[in-house]
Amino acid sequence: MKKIYFDNNATTPLYPDLSPVAMECLSLWGNPSSVHWAGQQVKGRLREARQNFAQFVGAHSLEVIFTSGGSESNSIIISLYQKIAQAQILGLKHDLQLMSGDLSLFHGRSEFITTTVEHPSIKRSFEYLETQGYTVHWIKVDREGQFDWSHFCSVLSEKTLLVSVMAANNETGVILPLAKITKLAHEKGAFVHSDCVQALGKMELDLQSLEVDYASFSAHKFYALKGVGALYVKKGSPFHPLIWGGGQERHRRGGTENTLGICLMGKMAQNYLNKDLYNEKLSQVEVLRNYFEAEILRIIPNVEINHQNALRLGNTSSVILSDVEGEALLMALDVQGMAVSTGSACSSGASQPSATLRSFGLSHQEARSTLRVSFGWLNTIEEVDLFLRTLSEVVIRLRKLVIPSTLSKRDSKQPGEMKTSIGFYENGVKSEGGVNV
Amino acid sequence: MSEKQKESFKKPRVLVAMSGGVDSSVAAALLVDQGYDVIGATMQVWDYSSCDIEEGNGTCCSSLDVDDARSVAEKLGIPFYVINCEEKFKESVIDPFVKGYLAGETPLPCVNCNTYLKFDHLIRKMKELDCEYLATGHYAQITETEKGRLGILTSADSWKDQTYFLFTIPETLVPHLKFPIGHLNKTEVRKIAEEKGLTVAKKKDSQGICFVGNQGYGNFIASQVSSQILKTKEGVFKRFPEGTVMGKHEGIHLYTYGQSKGLGLTFHEKLFVLKIDPNDNTVWLGEESYLYQNEVYVENLHFIDEIGEGELFDVKVRYSQKGSPAHIFKNGDGYKLKFIEPQRAITPGQAAVLYRNRQLVGGGWIR
Repeated sequence: MKKIYFDNNATTPLYPDLSPVAMECLSLWGNPSSVHWAGQQVKGRLREARQNFAQFVGAHSLEVIFTSGGSESNSIIISLYQKIAQAQILGLKHDLQLMSGDLSLFHGRSEFITTTVEHPSIKRSFEYLETQGYTVHWIKVDREGQFDWSHFCSVLSEKTLLVSVMAANNETGVILPLAKITKLAHEKGAFVHSDCVQALGKMELDLQSLEVDYASFSAHKFYALKGVGALYVKKGSPFHPLIWGGGQERHRRGGTENTLGICLMGKMAQNYLNKDLYNEKLSQVEVLRNYFEAEILRIIPNVEINHQNALRLGNTSSVILSDVEGEALLMALDVQGMAVSTGSACSSGASQPSATLRSFGLSHQEARSTLRVSFGWLNTIEEVDLFLRTLSEVVIRLRKLVIPSTLSKRDSKQPGEMKTSIGFYENGVKSEGGVNV
Repeated sequence: MSEKQKESFKKPRVLVAMSGGVDSSVAAALLVDQGYDVIGATMQVWDYSSCDIEEGNGTCCSSLDVDDARSVAEKLGIPFYVINCEEKFKESVIDPFVKGYLAGETPLPCVNCNTYLKFDHLIRKMKELDCEYLATGHYAQITETEKGRLGILTSADSWKDQTYFLFTIPETLVPHLKFPIGHLNKTEVRKIAEEKGLTVAKKKDSQGICFVGNQGYGNFIASQVSSQILKTKEGVFKRFPEGTVMGKHEGIHLYTYGQSKGLGLTFHEKLFVLKIDPNDNTVWLGEESYLYQNEVYVENLHFIDEIGEGELFDVKVRYSQKGSPAHIFKNGDGYKLKFIEPQRAITPGQAAVLYRNRQLVGGGWIR
């Protein structure tokens, strides 16, 4: 059975070019902090990886801190700013020793602004801050993909400490107006962090022109390994470690480095430093996505594409298939060897449909009927064709099944008759299960 | 043989409900051996992360059990899905369970689980996944009846037989069901599990009600209902037939018909719970002889096969009992069962299940 992977927003496979590099890196097992040959042979590779990654995202080497991934990078910033906000609220001016930046920058500032469509590692962190009494403003993004500027501007003030807005959304691919948000925030003296995890490898990214102060990255979304990522901290921005350790990452993030992960992440960045090459890849994927969407709209009735007309990542397609339950679709497709998702990977297996989709303005039913197809650099047009055929067969079949909207209770008025909530098609005629006596 | 040829020789697709226990695990294994295209699924019915119950405490379908089911599926090389049914389980199994006890009944949650989840929700999943059959690890068998239709027969292991809980299965569903271990006894099932190297071979059976576990249903109900409401279930013990008040009790939900231990009373005679009256919260106590009766009124009967008026059946009024012969008569909206031998402690909330030569014919609720 041919296996097809269209869930690249959840994670990506290791890029085939990187396999030999991985084997090589496995033999470089020394601790980079060691003085001797074992440590030194890998230290150079780390430096190289850092330079390449920094250059790839439009940063300077010294501005890149390697972490265990996007969630950690997000947590470092939010916990740092929680401490700053706390110091402001409690007036503990001298308690917090920052590695850079001046506490005076934050005088009177303790409020946070973020969006309602962030990744759980951001969302849950800010929700936690709220339970601790901090003020968090949640800005919406609507069904057309528009950021709620009026709300944002009304809550952005001299009290704002940090604005955290993702560069691109994992569920629908919608791209947020990060440059403009950053500009406005800076005008009010607030700092800006961006969860750029989904942006890496899916759109053009230049941190220097975006002017954000902090940005989070994850390697496994960009054809490298899981368990490693990066945090960009613009030169001069306030910083304080979350994880203390042996002085790694210039004392900014303790813990012996994930050398294999970092090297592969750096190598991937190096291979695509040539922006033409990178953009070519982005275009190829966008062709697949656009073809998929044109076809699905043509061959399957009652289909809607979320944020179709908004600025979007070129690889993501979030599709509402009416009268079909996303979860059922997911399993039925998996049985045929096809991997896609509903909502995002982090929230799958939950009984509730994606809160992010609801936040965009989808109804409960629409969110439950949404499928996310995210194409990657290793997918082909033949795979898209095969997927479309299978998808339409499964959708037709699922739509034929009776879908109960409420629990069918046994409220038998007639003795001995039981209603089941599912109908059966026998000889082409639908009948209700149960026996009349 | 090419892959395509192999595919076409494969038997139809079966969805197997896997609880992580040894019975459903072996059921799945046997179907794989028989060449079926098997898909395993676990119903996630209870969010254990939100409660203090220690895992492995006699409960079922906890996250550890899901892991067990998953590892069996992996060993068998079959796809495995976790189907979240928490809401439906709460609505159709847990809430009626609590309500039943609060109304002085002794409910049968397993039947509701079968009615609304295993043989309803999972049937839907079966169709969504394009399966022809749903299989479970129940001790029951599918058989051909005299009329040439398919029916349900008690299992080979009469001690473990679970057909008592299956009476709500609609007749039209039976051709879509499989009970792969129904012809085996428990010892044989465990042996097969060991032979196949399944990790669950030595796993203890879950005792009692799957979501209650070892804590006892009294404690469970207390965790689900406010103490205010529980207080309204307090009442008195009265002696039958005199009506003398014998003492106070802390809630009708803590007692069941026929109970004689744990009454919290000291008395020179052994007394039994004869009746629980939810209208005034009185728990009637008396001599054992009063526990026996010949007639039972049953409602909401479900039939898997036809019956005749006045026909004699083997009837079970509780799970852990051998059937006893009784005639069935239509009576208003329900039915009346007239037993030849008097039955002990017939309990509202339990089911009366009819058998004809070990074949499950139907059942209904005792009120």
